[in-house]
Amino acid sequence: MRAPGRLRFAGRYVTRWAVDTAGVLLALSAGTFALVLLARGDPAAILAATRAGRSATPEQIEAVRAELGLDAPAPVRYVRWLADASTGDFGLSLRTNTPVGPEIADRMGVTLGLVAGSAAVALVAGVAVGVAGAVLGRGPVRGALRGGALLATSVPAFWLSYLLVLVLALRLGLVPTSGMAGPATWVMPMAVLGLPAAGALSRVVAVTLREALDQPYVLAAQARGSGPVSIVLRDGLPNAAGPILSLAGVTVGSLLVGTVVVEQIFGWPGLGAYFVHAAAARDVPALQAAALALGGGFILANRLADVLQALIDPRSLRDAGGTGPRAAGRGRRPSRRGGTGPREEAT
Amino acid sequence: MTQGHRRWGLPATVRTTLVALPLIVFAIAGVLAPVLAPADPTANDLAAGLLPPSADHLLGTDQLGRDQLSRILYGARISLAVTAAVLAISLAAGVVIGTVAGYLGGRVDRVISRLIDMAVSLPGMLVALAVIGVRGPGVENLVIALSLWAWAPYARIARARVAGLRGSPHLDALRLLGAGPVRVIGRHLLPPALAPCLVYASTDVGAIVLSVATLSFLGLGIPPPHAEWGQMLIEGRPYLASAWWLAYPPGIAITAVVFAGNLLGERLAGGDERPSILRWVRPARRPRHSIAPRPAPAGSPATSAAPAASAEDDVVLRVRDLSAGYPHGGGLRRVVAGVSYEVRRGRVLAIVGETGSGKTTSALAPFGLVDPGAVVTGSATLGGGAGALELMGRTPPERHRVNGRRVGVVFQDSLAALNPLRTVGAHVDEAVRNAGRGGRRAATRRVSEELLRLAGLPDPAVIAREFPHQLSGGMRQRVQIAIALAGEPELLVADEPTSALDVTVQAQLLDLLGRLRDELAMAMVVVSHDVAVISRLADSVAVMYAGRIVETGPLATVIGNPDHPYTRGLLDAVPRPGAAPGTRFRTMPGRSGAGPDDTGGCAFAPRCPIAVAACADDRPVLEAASTVAHRSACLRHPGGTALQPGTARERDRL
Repeated sequence: MRAPGRLRFAGRYVTRWAVDTAGVLLALSAGTFALVLLARGDPAAILAATRAGRSATPEQIEAVRAELGLDAPAPVRYVRWLADASTGDFGLSLRTNTPVGPEIADRMGVTLGLVAGSAAVALVAGVAVGVAGAVLGRGPVRGALRGGALLATSVPAFWLSYLLVLVLALRLGLVPTSGMAGPATWVMPMAVLGLPAAGALSRVVAVTLREALDQPYVLAAQARGSGPVSIVLRDGLPNAAGPILSLAGVTVGSLLVGTVVVEQIFGWPGLGAYFVHAAAARDVPALQAAALALGGGFILANRLADVLQALIDPRSLRDAGGTGPRAAGRGRRPSRRGGTGPREEAT
Repeated sequence: MTQGHRRWGLPATVRTTLVALPLIVFAIAGVLAPVLAPADPTANDLAAGLLPPSADHLLGTDQLGRDQLSRILYGARISLAVTAAVLAISLAAGVVIGTVAGYLGGRVDRVISRLIDMAVSLPGMLVALAVIGVRGPGVENLVIALSLWAWAPYARIARARVAGLRGSPHLDALRLLGAGPVRVIGRHLLPPALAPCLVYASTDVGAIVLSVATLSFLGLGIPPPHAEWGQMLIEGRPYLASAWWLAYPPGIAITAVVFAGNLLGERLAGGDERPSILRWVRPARRPRHSIAPRPAPAGSPATSAAPAASAEDDVVLRVRDLSAGYPHGGGLRRVVAGVSYEVRRGRVLAIVGETGSGKTTSALAPFGLVDPGAVVTGSATLGGGAGALELMGRTPPERHRVNGRRVGVVFQDSLAALNPLRTVGAHVDEAVRNAGRGGRRAATRRVSEELLRLAGLPDPAVIAREFPHQLSGGMRQRVQIAIALAGEPELLVADEPTSALDVTVQAQLLDLLGRLRDELAMAMVVVSHDVAVISRLADSVAVMYAGRIVETGPLATVIGNPDHPYTRGLLDAVPRPGAAPGTRFRTMPGRSGAGPDDTGGCAFAPRCPIAVAACADDRPVLEAASTVAHRSACLRHPGGTALQPGTARERDRL
C-alpha cells in the first residue's frame, strides 16, 4: 500500500488480470461483430438507399458492397473490422452515411459525465443507507431503509423519471424537464440512474458490513475504547470493502447500461441514446460501435473492481505474487530476515 | 423480515406467499384477462379519449379511448407470458448445458465454463438491445434476446451441482449396472441440478419483467397494439401531466411485480437478521424479577466469590450477582448466573472452567464486551472509594471512558482480534489516542513503540509497520498486551491469553504478565481452562461450572485442598510432576455444556462421583469450606471438614 515494492510485487497479478481482460474484450468484439451476421436486411442495400435518398439500384448496392468489403468471408471481415475499430474507425452509419467513430467519441464524454455523477449519488446514498442498515437495531427505521432500498431497485427507471418530471419539473418547476444545459438539468438524470444503484449497493453494504462488524477485532476495538464511528470507518468498511468494491464495479457497469434508458428520456446526446437510435433504425455499424463501447466499459468496470479488491488487501498479495512484500523491502532493511512466514518469537 | 412480520407470528411459508402475492395476483389476472377485462384493450373510441376514472372505466381511458383497466390486465398477461417463456427457455437450456458440461468434465467442461463466464459477464440489457436492434422488435425476438443472456446463470448453477455429484459412488454403481449416459443424466443428474435453478428462477422474475417493460418502453419490446405496461407509459407520455391515471397505474403495476419478485428472491436467498456487535442504543435494563426463570436460591447473596465484608480502597473490580443471558423462545436463556468476584490492586484472579462454562462472559460482560443481544444484570464496580464507578447500564460513550483507559483487554485469538488490513502500529496508535495520550502522528507513534517495547517486542519501529498476519502468535499476543496497556489501566482482563501458543512462548507470556502486574501494580482477571497457566500466575481462583462459580479461594488452598468434586476432577486431569510413576491422570466422565438453569439442583450432579439424591434437587450455594476465604458450592463438602476416610475412598473410585 505504501511501499513502492508492494506495487511492483503486484505486477504479476495485474499482468495476468490484463491478459484475462483482453481475452474477454476480444470475445465481446467477436460477439459484437456477429451482430452483422444476425442482421435482417442487407446493410449494403440500406446504406445505398440512405445515400441515394430512395430505393437504390442494384448497381449502387453492388458498389457499396464492394466499398464495404462485404463479399469477403466472415472471419476476414472480422479481422478487418477489428483492425479498423482499434484505430477508431467503425465505418459509416447506415442511417446518416457519416463516420461512426467520431460520433461515438463525441458522445462518450456526455455518458461518462452522467455515469460519474450517478455513481457519486449511488455511492454516497448507498453507503450511508447501508451503514445505517448495518448498525441500527431491528426497528421501524431500519425496516423503512431496507424497504426503501428494495423499492428503489424495483422501480423502473423510466417510470421514476416520469414521476420526477411530474413533481420536480411540472408541479414545482425546480428543474427543466429535459435537455443537458446547466447544472439543474443534471439533477433528474443523476437521480434516476443513481438511486436504483444506491438501493442495490446499500443492501450489500449492510450485509457485508454487519458481517465485518461481527468479527472479534471489533470487540477488541471496543475494548480499547474506540468509538462507533472509528470502528465503522477503520475496521468495518475496509474489511467489508471486497464485496462492496466488486458490487461498485457492477454498479458502474450497470450505470453505463442504464444510460440507454435515461439519456433517451431526458434527451441527452450520449452513447446510450445513440445506441437506442441505432437499434431502432437497425443501423448495424453504429450499433456495433456503441455496443463495443458500452459493453467494453461494463466489462472493464467489473474487472477493475476485482483487481482493486485484490490490491487493497495486504493478505491477498502474498498469495498472488509468491514472495511477499518483504522481498522488495529486503534491500532497504537489512536487519530483516525477509522471509514471508511469521517471524519467530524473538525473546 | 422486520418486526411486523415477527409479530404476526406467521409461519415462514405463509409469509413467503404473502410476499409473492402481487406476483400471484397479476399472474391470475393475466390468465383470466379475457374474462375479467371489462372491455377490449385495443378497441379505440376517440370520443371517449382521456376520460378520468369513472364507473364505466374504473381506471379511465387513454388518448385513444381504450379502457385502462383492461389494458393493465392484458399487460399482465403479456408481461408474465414473455417472462414465463424466457424463464422456460433459459432454464431448460441452462440446466441441460450445465449438466452436460458437469457430467462430461474435461475439455468440454472447460470450454463451456469459459463460455458461461463470458455470458454471465455480459450486460444483459445491451445484449438484448443489440439483438433486437439487428433483428427488429417483436414478441419472438424479445424472447430470444432475453433468453440469450438469461441462460448463463442456470448453466453455472447446474454445472456446479452436477460436477459435485459426478464423482459419487452412486453414479459409478449405476454405470456398472449398465445405465447409459443419457439415462444417468436424465434420471439422476438433471433433477438435482434443476432444484437450485428453480430457486434462482424465482429471483430472476423481477429482473426479466423489468427488462420486458424497459425494452417495450424504448419501443424495442412488445410492439403496439398489444397492451404492455412499459409501452402504455410511452404512449401516454404526452398526456401524463394532465391525465394522472395514465401515469400511475402501469408504473405501479410494474413496480409491484418487480418488488415482489425481488423480495421473494431476497427471502429465498435467506438474508440474515442478526444485529451487529456495535451497539448504538443504551441496552435495555430489565427488572430483576423478569430475568430469573426460576426463583433464585435463598442464599443468593452468599454466592459471592469473596468475603462480603471488605470495602477497602484497593479493590479494583467488584462484581456482584452478575447474570447474562440471551432471549430465547420468549424467555431468557442464561449462560452466567449469580456470579460474584472481586480483584484487588496488584492481584491476579483466575477464572477457570471448561469451554462453555461462562467464564469469558463473566469476565467481559461488566465492560459491555458481549453480544448486543445479551441481557446482563447485576452490579460491577470499578475502583474503590471515591473513584468507584458502577459499570452496569452504561451507554456506549460512557464505556469509552472506561474501556481502553481504566481497563485493558487481551483476547484469546490474537489473529482475529486484530484488524487484518491495518498495521500493528495503527492499532496501538489508535489505542494511545483513545486513551488521550496521543499527540501528533510522530508523538503518538513514539508512545506506541514504547508500549510495544514494554510488551517485550524487540525492534518496535519495525514491528509497528507489520501487518498482523506477518507476526507469530506470541508476538501478536504481545501486541494485544501493548494495546491493552495504552491507557495505563488499573485492570487488565486477559481471556485465554496463552492458548494456541506453544509451551515456551506460553511461559514467556505468563512471565511478562506477572512482571507487568508487579511493575505497574495492575489488577488482572485471567480467564483460562488451563490449570497449569493459572498456578503460575494467579493469586486467587474462581472455578466455574455451567455458568456458576462452584469454588473459589486463594490459589494455594484451591489447588492444594480442593473441595468441590469438579475442581478435583479438573486438577486430576492435569498430569503433575512428582506423581508416583504409573499413576494415571484421570479424565472426567460425562459431557459438559449445560446452562445454569438446566437443572434445579447441582449442575455437576450428573457427572459427580459422590452425588447423592439431594444433589439433583437442591442447588448448593457457595459457603465456607476449609477457611473463610475458601468457599465451595457442594452439598457434601468432601474436602471441607478435613479429609474424611469415606470421602477418600470415594475419590479413589473416580
